Amino acid sequence: MKNRLKVLRAERDWSQGDLAERLEVSRQSVNAIETGKYDPSLPLAFRIADLFGLTIEEIFLKD
Amino acid sequence: MAQNPAQRRYMRRMVVLSAAYIAAVMLASWLIPDDAAATPLTVAIALVPALATSGFIWAMARYVAELKDEYVRMLEIRKMLVATGLTLALASGWGILELFTTVPRVQLFYVFPVWCLGLAVGSLVNKVTIGDGGPCL
Repeated sequence: MKNRLKVLRAERDWSQGDLAERLEVSRQSVNAIETGKYDPSLPLAFRIADLFGLTIEEIFLKD
Repeated sequence: MAQNPAQRRYMRRMVVLSAAYIAAVMLASWLIPDDAAATPLTVAIALVPALATSGFIWAMARYVAELKDEYVRMLEIRKMLVATGLTLALASGWGILELFTTVPRVQLFYVFPVWCLGLAVGSLVNKVTIGDGGPCL
């Protein structure tokens, strides 16, 4: 699944580690989600959306 | 990768269980003579190390249950699935060979170590298919 995580992170000048810390996941998780290798669960997707103040659909896009 | 709390707990449990396993094996070797008959006493003593190996499995189950990072948990579960599939395939294959040919008999004791080696294969599968081998425990 495509997503805008890298762009949203760059806009805030956050590293993958910064985002991982805020989401309480590993940096590997952020990298895997960002590169589309792993689709997060619905609870984690909601946490990501809440963190950026957006809806899930505004971050995760259909292929 | 820095260890998360679940990994630290897992390592602590495995160190304790490994020490208990070594002590139990040494005790059983000392108390039970070679080729001893399977009496209730010898069976009970011989099963003490098995409690420790059951403890290893419990520690692994707790580790997966306590992992908060869902991506790392997925990597670990994939490793365990590969290890389980590989062990079942090898055990079944060798068992059939034993039925029909004169290959050496392999003791059941080796199933668990083979499964643990399968975890390394699972890590490799993760690396090849996802690009991330997961934590190395």
